Amino acid sequence: MAVLRWALVGAAAVALVTFPYWSAPWVSRFATTLVRDALILAIFALSLDLLVGRAGMPSLGHAAFFGAGAYAAGITGQRLATDQLPVTLGAAALVGALLALIIGVLVVRSEGIFFLMLTLALAQIVFAIAFQWTALTGGSNGLSGLDFSAPDLMYVLVAITFVLAALVIWGLGRSPYGRALSGVRENERRMRALGYDTARLRLSAFVIAGTIAGIAGALSAYSTRFVSAQDAGLANSVRAFVTVLVGGAGTLGGPIVGSALVSLIERVVPSLLPTDLRISQAILGLVFIFFVLFARQGMVGLGRSAYQRVQHR
Amino acid sequence: MSPELVFQQALNGLSFGALLFILASGLSLVFGMMDVVNLAHGAFYMLGAYVALSVVQSTGSFWLAMLAAPLALGVLGFVLEPLLLRRLRGRHLDQVLLTIGVSLVIVDVIGQVWGREVRSLSAPAGLDGSVTLIGGVYPVYRLFVMAFGVALAAAMAVVYRRTRIGMLIRAGVQDAEMLGALGVNTNRLFASTFATGAALAGLAGVIAAPVFGVQPGMDIDPGLLYSLVVVVVGGLGTLSGAVAGSVLVGPADTFGKVLFQDVALAVIFAIVALVLLLKPTGLLGRIRIAR
Repeated sequence: MAVLRWALVGAAAVALVTFPYWSAPWVSRFATTLVRDALILAIFALSLDLLVGRAGMPSLGHAAFFGAGAYAAGITGQRLATDQLPVTLGAAALVGALLALIIGVLVVRSEGIFFLMLTLALAQIVFAIAFQWTALTGGSNGLSGLDFSAPDLMYVLVAITFVLAALVIWGLGRSPYGRALSGVRENERRMRALGYDTARLRLSAFVIAGTIAGIAGALSAYSTRFVSAQDAGLANSVRAFVTVLVGGAGTLGGPIVGSALVSLIERVVPSLLPTDLRISQAILGLVFIFFVLFARQGMVGLGRSAYQRVQHR
Repeated sequence: MSPELVFQQALNGLSFGALLFILASGLSLVFGMMDVVNLAHGAFYMLGAYVALSVVQSTGSFWLAMLAAPLALGVLGFVLEPLLLRRLRGRHLDQVLLTIGVSLVIVDVIGQVWGREVRSLSAPAGLDGSVTLIGGVYPVYRLFVMAFGVALAAAMAVVYRRTRIGMLIRAGVQDAEMLGALGVNTNRLFASTFATGAALAGLAGVIAAPVFGVQPGMDIDPGLLYSLVVVVVGGLGTLSGAVAGSVLVGPADTFGKVLFQDVALAVIFAIVALVLLLKPTGLLGRIRIAR
């Protein structure tokens, strides 16, 4: 069975990475762009879920790392006039990790609503710096004209990164480390009594999440060829949070299906509505309210309980 | 800086502080009573400004707008609390998340109804001029804002200390559950509190409109961000905390923008982070921390 399961996962991964090639006869190029952006959101949301779902740290400032990664890739790419991925993506990961270390040291000891407000406030500092340090970031104009030598391969790069990120998050969840993080979420005092350094556990989760979010930001910078301070702004943090919760926090599939739903609502639903009706964020808000009120476990939770009901019949 | 400039900026800072108090008092009240950080507070503030815009356009009266916007927001809050928040009573973090959803809906509906352009609302006749004060001309409207903020704080203090409603609020801030056990209808109390918080946000939207303008994005900056800054610095959930926070943040932000133009935004949030780290309950906060 295990072999079969891995074969299926492998086949799905290959199908995903090669999507633009086999789907060309049936769908437009827009579909590839759509899937690419959804995968970037999925990477971003997966990294946030390591905090929200796994370690029980409700961060409303995760866009800080996404934005920092986007700027890091954009700035190193432009200043060094390079599109060598090890350099630019490496810079994004490094900056994401360092920033997460700095912010993490400040926030890991607080919890709940206070953790939420602290992450929000600190992310807002990052946003403010991005918005006002014009010489480095382009300020309110943002950074534009980022070039990647092989734009056709951009999708493949995003898809491979997504598969790797999902594997890493999956592996972490099954490892003793991931179990310890779940323990911190469920009962931090007991974990401390058992001899775990819970602050360090939370900090390390924060740094890993920041690193992956930084890479997601770099991929976004290359895909849209643009970085703006909004990438580090509150709206982007909220977007990631909504994605995680709607999909299902604390599961591997949740952030992925969540990003599919959010992308549909943001990019496909508007094309079905009259053009003067721009209410995708309101729809997203209503969907989010529905899940918080009635299905806190998200789409994955809904799917699971439906499956169980069928089995019990 | 010349002394005149310092004076001018100090006035600016204080009138900004008064605005911040009007903006933040509702957020603080709701948190004190319900342990919910209402992240839709900025959206309520924005809606207040747009309602005022329509009222002024159709009736020409700014003063009518100052009545209508808080009333409209109060009704909205009175409906939303039982409809949404009450279902999750006791689950504070989920209640906070709900308000994120509410905020997304309100902001998009505003964009759809009123458009997504930058609008403006001028100060009412009589307050749109300026006066000469120690070496400079100063807009009358800012002085009005300052007086209004002080009057509102005083009125709220009287209500808190001297009335039955104030007694219920103080008791609810201490322990809402106990208050319920003593026979007070906490459902109605919570709905009224949330409605009052929303009405105050709407009032802030009207009063701030001639100063900050009316435009997309105002729900986050200044709406939500500054009201969070004030209550976090001053202390969550107490009236004195909201006063202290506004009096500190108003001038600090104004002088920050004059002295360190390039990093002003970062400075103010650095102060917040520092306060949260050193004294998580805020400078004057006495309240327990909701987890």
